[in-house]
Amino acid sequence: MTNELVRIGELIRNRRVIVCCGAGGVGKTTTAAALSLAAARAGRRVLVLTIDPSKRLAETLGVSRNPPTPVAVPPDRQIAAGIHAPASLDAWMLDPKLVADESVRRLTKTPEDAERVLSNRIYQQVSSMVAGMHEYTAMEALHRLVNEGRYDLVVLDTPPSRHALDFLEAPRRLSGLVDSSALQAFLPKRDSLMARAASKVIEKILGAVFGEEFAHELVAFMMTFSGIFSALNVDVNAMRTFLSGPDVAFLLVTSPAPATLAEAHFFQDKTKELGLPFRGFVLNRSRARNTSKRWPDETSLEDLPAEAKAALPRLQVMAQGELDAAKRDLSLLTELEQRAGTSATAIAVPELPEGADDMLTLLTIADALAAS
Amino acid sequence: MSSLQELFTRRVVLMTGKGGVGRSSLTAALATQAQRKGVRVLICDIGDDPNDYSPLARHFGRDRFTAAPTLVAPGIHGVVLLARSGQELFLKSVLRSGTLARAALSSDALRRLLSAGPSFKEMGVFFQLLTLLRAKLPSGEPEHSLVLIDMPATGHTLSLTGLPELLLRLVPRGPIAAALREGQSYLNDPKLGAAWVVAIPETLPVSECLELLEGLQKTGMPTGGVLMNRVPVDPFSAAERSALQSPLERINPLGAEGFRRPVLARREIARLRAGTKLPIIELPELAHGAALISGLADVLEKEGRTS
Ligand SMILES: Nc1ncnc2c1ncn2[C@@H]1O[C@H](COP(=O)(O)OP(=O)(O)O)[C@@H](O)[C@H]1O
Ligand SMILES: Nc1ncnc2c1ncn2[C@@H]1O[C@H](COP(=O)(O)OP(=O)(O)O)[C@@H](O)[C@H]1O
Ligand SMILES: [Mg+2]
Ligand SMILES: [Mg+2]
Repeated sequence: MTNELVRIGELIRNRRVIVCCGAGGVGKTTTAAALSLAAARAGRRVLVLTIDPSKRLAETLGVSRNPPTPVAVPPDRQIAAGIHAPASLDAWMLDPKLVADESVRRLTKTPEDAERVLSNRIYQQVSSMVAGMHEYTAMEALHRLVNEGRYDLVVLDTPPSRHALDFLEAPRRLSGLVDSSALQAFLPKRDSLMARAASKVIEKILGAVFGEEFAHELVAFMMTFSGIFSALNVDVNAMRTFLSGPDVAFLLVTSPAPATLAEAHFFQDKTKELGLPFRGFVLNRSRARNTSKRWPDETSLEDLPAEAKAALPRLQVMAQGELDAAKRDLSLLTELEQRAGTSATAIAVPELPEGADDMLTLLTIADALAAS
Repeated sequence: MSSLQELFTRRVVLMTGKGGVGRSSLTAALATQAQRKGVRVLICDIGDDPNDYSPLARHFGRDRFTAAPTLVAPGIHGVVLLARSGQELFLKSVLRSGTLARAALSSDALRRLLSAGPSFKEMGVFFQLLTLLRAKLPSGEPEHSLVLIDMPATGHTLSLTGLPELLLRLVPRGPIAAALREGQSYLNDPKLGAAWVVAIPETLPVSECLELLEGLQKTGMPTGGVLMNRVPVDPFSAAERSALQSPLERINPLGAEGFRRPVLARREIARLRAGTKLPIIELPELAHGAALISGLADVLEKEGRTS
């Protein structure tokens, strides 16, 4: 069943956000980069936002890793990649610590408040290791950048996780922690006798777990923090609403493996459950194109030396292996197409023998995606 | 003793590497091999959610492991390390008063803190691991003589091995510090703990393997070596290769890719060798299917005698 309704080539031209999800190592970062190149080549102002920067990808795009704000791909590379003004390509490889510092500055009322948080010993140690901080900062940045209107399209490359949508849950957990009611429980109470008794219990627990000294410091830290991050919770909900909207497309990047179909199924169900617009599967590293190749006929191998002829049966075994892999991947793609139904699509990106980190191969993938 | 034989004498071994390289398969194969040697082995999965399905458990015919060790094959126990279970164990151990422990566990605020707080997830996993390492048989011997951990992504490995140093800077005294130091006494002692990196002979995986080895060293984690998985078997002699090379380049028929692959693999293995002094153990690309794990275990057995 081929799909007339959804095509990746359309998504890159008319969506404002494309989210690439998938397990680690399948090619999310590569796909996100190729999609953003394709969209910029099609005339849009594009940002590719990645949390999991590969060194070589940064080198290929010519951007530094972990700058505090998005950076433009150098003009000569944009031109070489066929991107012409007013179209543009920016990249941002997020560093959660830098972005957390930025958020503190933005959310505090005065520079003095910001300094107080930024210089706090606990904040300095924990700002990059709070669970969900990575994901939260990405969501926050995405939301802000889309609203600013500087970009026509933001392509989000999500961090590797066993469950492709973990990154959506993490910010909720973080905001669950910092929302006022949870934090209040840790703060010393002066009002009612009851409240004071309850906070005494919490104090005791914290003291036993962390030691008295650190428990005090922790409570002081949370007091400083509670006011500042009360804005977080609102953002997470607004973000969810935005991500459910018509301007957004979620793609699952997978590679051929026995578990691919199970993962695809899980992802589709999960996006449905969360009300997110799932729009397609990208089957990366597919070997299906090999069906177009042939085992050479007798004549083309006639002038081989004798010892090479003796090796031909073994070469033929390899050819058969490639043919089998091609058939497997082709039928996998067909199954993904069927599963995609009418509201989504499935597309294969071929396995490239030398990897996919240089500009030329990225552009090859970009063109294949744009033409689909 | 070969480096692989040494692996079986450790108390705790972290199986790490990039996603999809074969960590879970090799964890299962090493467990099979350990069991054949009569080692009491415990294999661990690290989970986020108790309902997650586990590729490691699949090799033992189940969807997932439980938070308490269970026998999953003759001589092999399996367990899932969950932040939540470790945190509960920890709270129970430090809050000696039962009332306080119950209050802590039922406190919504505390639960939220533990699920999102700084490194608390890793701490939970760390503490559950420590509890398993401490467990003794009535004879006084360790209940699990070898704890093999199928680590999740690279980043998780470094957060776990780097956890003690990082947290000790923040909380140098108290029960957390004591647990961290005890954990370090296993993990960072080269006689008791080791990380093994699983890689495949391709460009980026090898680069990442080298980066990971460096990262492990920075966190003070002893490394046993690299398991170079899925090395393509080369059926051609050097003479055959040189005779076939140019006609294949010219025609580029089916099979040409398979012909080139062993050469690319050798190049990447050589690059890894140039970048590390650690032992590199090669495991062949085998047929997918039910016999994969026992096939890998057989190769490990042979390798153990030589390398
Ligand atoms: N289609 C492909 N063919 C060959 N190599 C690929 C392909 N897609 C990705 N790769 C390579 O696989 C590695 C992992 O890709 P990456 O995009 O970083 O994965 P992820 O972001 O999902 O972890 C990179 O070295 C990349 O060059
Ligand atoms: N030596 C091997 N030969 C062939 N296939 C392998 C080999 N090792 C692993 N595989 C396959 O590779 C895939 C990924 O392996 P897995 O152990 O799940 O990786 P990881 O745990 O690192 O993500 C699985 O489909 C597995 O069957
Ligand atoms: Mg990536
Ligand atoms: Mg695994």
